[in-house]
Amino acid sequence: MRARPSLHVGVILMLAVRNLRRNLRRTILTATSFVIGGALLTFSQTFDAGTHEQMVDSGVRTGSGHVAVEAPGFRVSRRIEDRLPGSTLQLVRAAVASPPGAERVTDVFYRLTVHGLATSATGARPAQILGVDPTIEAALSPLDEQVVEGRYLEADDRLAAYVGAGLVDALDLRIGSRLVLMAQDTHKEVAGQLVRVVGIFRTGIGELDESVIHVPIATAGEWLGIGDDVTNIGVMVDSSLAVPEIVRHLGRELAEPIARGEAVVMGWQEAMPALYTMIVFDEWVGFLVLGILFVIIGFSIINTVLMSVLHRHREFGVLQALGLTPRQTSSVVLVEGLLQTVVCTFIGVGLGLAVTAALSDGLDISGLYGSMDIGEVEIVGVTVDPVIVPVVNPVRILQILGFMLFVGVVSSLYPALRAGTIDVTESMKFER
Amino acid sequence: MSESNGYAVRTAGVWKIFQQEAEEVQAVRDVSLTIGRGEFTALAGPSGSGKTTLLNLIGGLTRPTRGEIWVAGSELGALSNRELAQLRLEQVGFVFQAYNLLPVLTALENAEFPMLLQGVPAAERSERIRELFDRTGMTGLEDRRPGKLSGGQQQRVAVVRAVASQPALVLADEPTANLDSHASEALLDMMAELNRELGVTFVFATHDGHVMERSRRLVRMVDGAIDSDETRS
Repeated sequence: MRARPSLHVGVILMLAVRNLRRNLRRTILTATSFVIGGALLTFSQTFDAGTHEQMVDSGVRTGSGHVAVEAPGFRVSRRIEDRLPGSTLQLVRAAVASPPGAERVTDVFYRLTVHGLATSATGARPAQILGVDPTIEAALSPLDEQVVEGRYLEADDRLAAYVGAGLVDALDLRIGSRLVLMAQDTHKEVAGQLVRVVGIFRTGIGELDESVIHVPIATAGEWLGIGDDVTNIGVMVDSSLAVPEIVRHLGRELAEPIARGEAVVMGWQEAMPALYTMIVFDEWVGFLVLGILFVIIGFSIINTVLMSVLHRHREFGVLQALGLTPRQTSSVVLVEGLLQTVVCTFIGVGLGLAVTAALSDGLDISGLYGSMDIGEVEIVGVTVDPVIVPVVNPVRILQILGFMLFVGVVSSLYPALRAGTIDVTESMKFER
Repeated sequence: MSESNGYAVRTAGVWKIFQQEAEEVQAVRDVSLTIGRGEFTALAGPSGSGKTTLLNLIGGLTRPTRGEIWVAGSELGALSNRELAQLRLEQVGFVFQAYNLLPVLTALENAEFPMLLQGVPAAERSERIRELFDRTGMTGLEDRRPGKLSGGQQQRVAVVRAVASQPALVLADEPTANLDSHASEALLDMMAELNRELGVTFVFATHDGHVMERSRRLVRMVDGAIDSDETRS
């Protein structure tokens, strides 16, 4: 009785390994392109992720926070009628003190944001006036570091203003100048507040420099008659990857005000859609470019493996004459491709991660700006430090591994099929 | 599959027709032949007479256009490709004109390759190869790759590979064509000894007069058909 045909897995594996070793130069050349491609793909992803993380960090510090809590209509109306009661801030503080907030949340800030007019003896300009807690803001916002004259607000300031350089120029202000802020109060009356310039900042972002004024939140609350209510609560987390988790957590903890229609919780992606769209677009462009690179690498693998197959017709014929089926003969080529792909994928990704680790202090790309004297770069209204710290996103790394393995498998498939469809008798004909 | 009836090979009205562009080439024409177990048979004839094609048909490397072929009791036309591969593995050994050893394997690994596929235990493989290498004067060359062996040595490894798995039949296509007369004589001696002592059935396709002289049955082919079939004592 004939035994059940065997799959000959061990033999196929042995032949595949021997063939890779036999054609060492070809193996090394193919492997090198795959390893370099993998390392490039991995590092460029961690570098992009670092750039994006920095953009998000910069954006959320001056903007909404990683997670924003606001009154439902505020994002559209920008009016103080759409504000949060002071009790919501207490709820948020309590929520972030419990897990998982306690582990992931680094800071909570709050602001009173109103649109109004800034008036000096010279003229008037529209302004975005932010009532802030000077101590919290100094710790979080990069704005206090961008002072060009004077100083940032301090805890005991009352009638002080920290003004953007563009607005200072437009209103012909200087340190110590007085200006009047005017905005609609809770009674829908126009209310004015006299303040004095204590500091001037320049971010390089026209939108901020020409309109933003920071004043102490207590002063703003009194001026507009809203007490300890706020318009924005921002929650900062240790990594933007934790945002969805914290949004869900705060959503649960603030269930009551949310149900009453007093508050909404949103991630920075929703709060800053322009920044989010830009990052998503940038990621896709990156993937597209590297995808094209890998298609090229894939074709080079197809070419290399196919050339090897074409030169090994006799060998495949012998294998079939000796008892391998066409499918098992294909498997020899497929396993060769898979072995090479799997090993090179892990080496390539490992190399990319090693470069990422080596640059954990950051990669200074300011040299790319040439002779331009630029401290930071502005992208969609946020500033990006030229020292980029690469960030490893495990999900993206898994995607890269999957993508590279997919390219390797697909590239090996066609040559493998060719190896299984040879004419055995033709392949073994003696050639003089 | 049926039981073997005392023959190693039987063909009945076998035709193999190739289509070459618009032309039909009858490579094998109506061949009916029975080769008994333990025979030492040569298929002789000029180039293009169809002897290699007949050998390939018997070995299940290609399928006939018409007719039936039985090898060790199995009718090849009834077998799937997978079963045909299994039959080649278990019942047929091949020796080729160009040796066709696997270049990535050593002499020993080449020789034991079919047994590896058959799942023969390592100790038994080793014993069989040691004995055959000893018989064929290959002892000491086990670890050499094909590229480091002479033509005669490579062909001896190929013969060991063909017989080591204990097939019902060894098909040898012009086994001496690339060898000098001395190596050719030594190879024939070796195959004759294996035939005599182990009872291995050999079928050669050849136009080497020396091989024809040494064979005990000579089947001459002309234009794809059997022209004569002569058995010697």
